Order: sequence, then structure tokens, then C-alpha cells
Amino acid sequence: MAHGDVEADRVGRAGSGSSRFGRIGSALRNGAYSVLLVAAATVVSVLVRRYLSSTDVVMLYLLAIMVAAFAFGRWPSIVAAGLSVAAYDFFSVPPFFTFNVEAAKHIWTFVMMFGVGIAISTLMERIRLKEREAETVALRARTEEMRSSLLSTVSHDLRTPLATIVGAGTALRDEGERIAPAQRAELIETVCAEAERMERLIGNLLDMTQVESGALVLRRDWVPLEEIVGSVLTRLEQRLADRCVVMHLPEDLPLISVDPVLFAQVFVNLVDNAMKHTPPSGPIEIGASVRERVVEIVVADRGPGLPAGAEGKVFEKFFRGAAHPGVGGVGLGLPICRGVVQAHGGTIDAVRRDGGGTSFVIRLPLLDAPETREPHP
Amino acid sequence: MSQPVPIILVVEDEPQMRRFLRTALEVQELRVVEAATAKDGLVAATTHNPEVILLDLGLPDGDGIELARRVREWSRVPIIVISARGREADKVAVLDAGADDYLTKPFGVNELLARIRVALRHAVQIASPQGAPILEIGPLRLDLARRDVRVSGREVHLTPIEYRLLAFLAQNAGKVLTHRQILKEVWGPNYVTEIQYLRVFMAQLRRKVEIDPARPVLLLTEPGVGYRMRDD
Repeated sequence: MAHGDVEADRVGRAGSGSSRFGRIGSALRNGAYSVLLVAAATVVSVLVRRYLSSTDVVMLYLLAIMVAAFAFGRWPSIVAAGLSVAAYDFFSVPPFFTFNVEAAKHIWTFVMMFGVGIAISTLMERIRLKEREAETVALRARTEEMRSSLLSTVSHDLRTPLATIVGAGTALRDEGERIAPAQRAELIETVCAEAERMERLIGNLLDMTQVESGALVLRRDWVPLEEIVGSVLTRLEQRLADRCVVMHLPEDLPLISVDPVLFAQVFVNLVDNAMKHTPPSGPIEIGASVRERVVEIVVADRGPGLPAGAEGKVFEKFFRGAAHPGVGGVGLGLPICRGVVQAHGGTIDAVRRDGGGTSFVIRLPLLDAPETREPHP
Repeated sequence: MSQPVPIILVVEDEPQMRRFLRTALEVQELRVVEAATAKDGLVAATTHNPEVILLDLGLPDGDGIELARRVREWSRVPIIVISARGREADKVAVLDAGADDYLTKPFGVNELLARIRVALRHAVQIASPQGAPILEIGPLRLDLARRDVRVSGREVHLTPIEYRLLAFLAQNAGKVLTHRQILKEVWGPNYVTEIQYLRVFMAQLRRKVEIDPARPVLLLTEPGVGYRMRDD
């Protein structure tokens, strides 16, 4: 962070945004506060002039400069230094209320005052820089910590299916002939299933890094929601074979402007999530409606539902509900959904349903599909 | 039976992958020729005249798209590309450059064989077109001569465009068709960018042909790429 930025940051801290006008506004405000400080010091010095020696008055002004340096930054404190000298001269050095001086020694005092003021301001600046550096270092340390715990979570979650694959694979290789055919078939099936699980996990990790890095490139198209849902149901065909999927998609639902591949992934994750948390007999419902310029899409299940207060947490990375053991998944599916939906300008919420279960509600602003000329061959 | 064994050319740089493909294909009594680079692949294509080319897009010395284009200059051999996840734009580019279908890594053996089967079938049809007048695909029965469409016995009335769309997909059953290819065939080369319109028509078609349009069994969507009529 460049020195100048620190200044802007400090100025910004006095309360406005980082816009140009905001910065000018803050700078002016801080300058004004410095002036007020000097004014305050002046008032005090004049009021108690009888009891204070000139040294005390100088100290008062230095105090004002120091406060200005600490609270408002470098330039305001330099302004305070300059103003203090002037105020000191005008109000506290005879002849009072003029800028003239009786004795030449006062000029020396002015120079010292200004010099010390600058010194204080510089020192304060250094202190603040050090503070900020320490903050950055602490932040970096925290990020590193998070990253390495992420890495360990991820490698653990990838290792688990991998361990099964290695186990089953080596068993087949080393003991294959002695294993009964039925069990051999099971082991082979396990290898395939766990490999698929790893593939999903890795897919989710890749999607998540894309979402996080802000490198999500949307290739928007006007798509019928039905088409996206259809592609997802086709893709998940095998896993949905014994499941009941109920759909309420109105025929006249307008086209939505979305990236079809990314949005399909959102549905995959939502349906996958529903499957993980509900028994096979539980229905999965997918519905959509339009309400006041908002397209509302719902994926709902009749599972155990979310624990109270978890409605927001569920979209956090690596959050895993009280899932059944062996359910797998690393807790990235829903955060990915949120990232993608938000990138489309929409919102996604988890809602507990009356009668049990969870509804995931996606809301997208309804935009008007452009008029297309009808192609006539 | 003196029919020569079909030759599959595998252009793939990963040795493990080549081994898997060779094993899986030879079991099906297909002969496999391997190439590990685009350059070798091109040479092998001209030397062996394969029935199908399996082409990995991630070759070290070149662009699979370029290889597909070069082969297309002198041969209509079916090309199935092997690509990585999430590269829809690449898939579309290579399909529009002349490839016939794609497989996304990691893919299973069944998917591989299904693609090859479809590719071989279409190659035969192109080589000796019989203009099969009646297509039966799953519940769909399409009489091309009489323009009669039946789904599970029930007659379906389609507009001329819907019919052309359905016929094109049916004649290429099992094979992916990009938006561009469909638009060009059904509407003409000037309309290849009207993807939105194609989607609307496909939605209409699905409503007429599918029992549950949101859960299609015949007219499958390949997001970001195009459509495919299922053939199994």
C-alpha cells in the first residue's frame, strides 16, 4: 500500500467513501477539525492567560497539533502547526491581537513550535503506518491459516474416496482370484462409485475457486427454464431413477437470461443437495412462478429440514448440516449456487417449509427478452 | 464374413488413456491404431483410413480443431473429440469445424461405445445412403416419405418448421448437433446466430412430442452446445 493511500485511507476513515468527492470532503472536514482544535487551544490559552506561562501556552498548542496528527492525519496536523504559530503570535504574544512581536526571541519560539509540530506529525504518521502494517500482517497470517486449513479439509475430503479406491483396487489386484464373484463385482462397483464422487468433489472445488476469484464469466442467453431443468434431470438420470421428482413449471414462463451451463450447475447442486438429505422415497419438487418482475424458482424437499438459524449458514463454504454419515460432499454445492445466482443479479435463500423440509428459493429479476424476428426459411 | 474389422484411430497423448481405450475397443472387436501427437495423428489418418477417429483436444503439439479441419478437407470420417470439463466453447468450435461428437473427461466405457456406435452407423449411412423412409427411435415413429409423426402410436401434428427440426434431429439420432448446425439446416445459413429462436422452437417441439417436456426422453439438451436426440 503506497504512502499516499494510507493518507487517503486515514482521511476516509473519518467517515466517507473512497470516491473522489468523498475524499475531498473528508480532507476538508479533517482540516476543519484541526482548525477547531487550534481554536480550542487558543480559547483556553486566552481564558487562563493569567495562570499560564508562555511555555504552558506553547504546550497547549503542541497538544492540539498532536491530537490533530493522531486523529486527522498528516496534512491537517501540519495545518494545525502553522495555524498554532499564527494563533500563538496573535493571541498570546504581546502586542496581543497583532502579528507583530515585541521581542525577537518569540520568533525563535515560533520556529521551534512549528518544527516540533512537524516532528510530532511525522512521528504520528510513522506510528500509524506501523499499526496498519501490523494489521496487514495479522490479516495475512489469518488468511494463510484459513488457506492451510482449507487445504487440509480438501485433501482430507479427496483422500477419503481415494482411500476406498486404493483399497478396493489393490484388493482386486492382489487377491482378485480368491474373492467371490459377487464381492468382486461389489468392489468394482465401489471403485467406480467413489471415483465418480471424487469427480463431483473436484468439479465443485473448481467451480468454487472460479466463483471466489470473481473470474466467473457469464455467457448469457435467453433460455427456457424448462430446458435447463430438463438437461439437469437427464444428466442426473441414473441417480434420480428411483426418485420422485415433481414439477410445477408453468407453460407461459418467460425466457430467462442466464448462462445455461452455470445455471444447470446450480440446479445440479440443489437437486444433489436434496438427494443427500432426503430418503429415496422423499419427493423433490421443482417449481417456478413470476411475481412482479421477479422470476421465482424453487427447489424443495421433504427432508429433515434445516436447524433453526442455519438458513444463512448453509450457504457458507464447507458448511455441512447434520448429514447422514457417508453422505460425502465437502459443503461447497450451495455456496457455488449462491455465487452463480448472485453473479446473475439474483438472490437465493433457504427456507424451512411448513410440514417439514427445506425450500431453496432463487429470485431473478425478470428482464424482457428482445424481439426476435421470426426466421423464415 | 469377410467384412474388414473397423479401424479406430486414437489420437491421445496420455499413455494410460490410450491403454484404456485400446482395451475397451479391442474387446468390442475393433482394431485400434494409436497416435500420441497431432502430427502423428494426421499421418495415421491418411495411412490407415480409419472408420472413426477419437481425438483428444489437449494434444501437446497442436490444436485438435486444426487437425479436425485438416482431416475434413479430404475425408468425411466421423471424428469424436475428447475434451475436458467446462470447455463448451471449445467443443462447439470443434463440432462446427467438422467433428461429429464429443466425450467429456472423465467418461465411462458405455458412453464411449455408444458414441462410437452412433458414429459408425452414420458413417455407413453417409457412405451408402438408403434414404430410410421410416425412422423409429424409442417412442417416436417418423415416416419421412409421408411426413407422418407418431409418438407412442399417437399422431402428432407439427408445423413445417417443427417437422424439419424433428426430422433433422431424428436423422442424426444419437449424435450431438450444435445450435449453428441446426439453424443452418432448418432455417438456412443466414440464421445461424438466432439461437434464442431455436430454443423457443425446441420448447414447442418438446411440448408436442414429449410426455413431460421438463423431463425429456427423446429431445435432449446439451447446455452450451446444442441438442441431441436420444437413440437408445
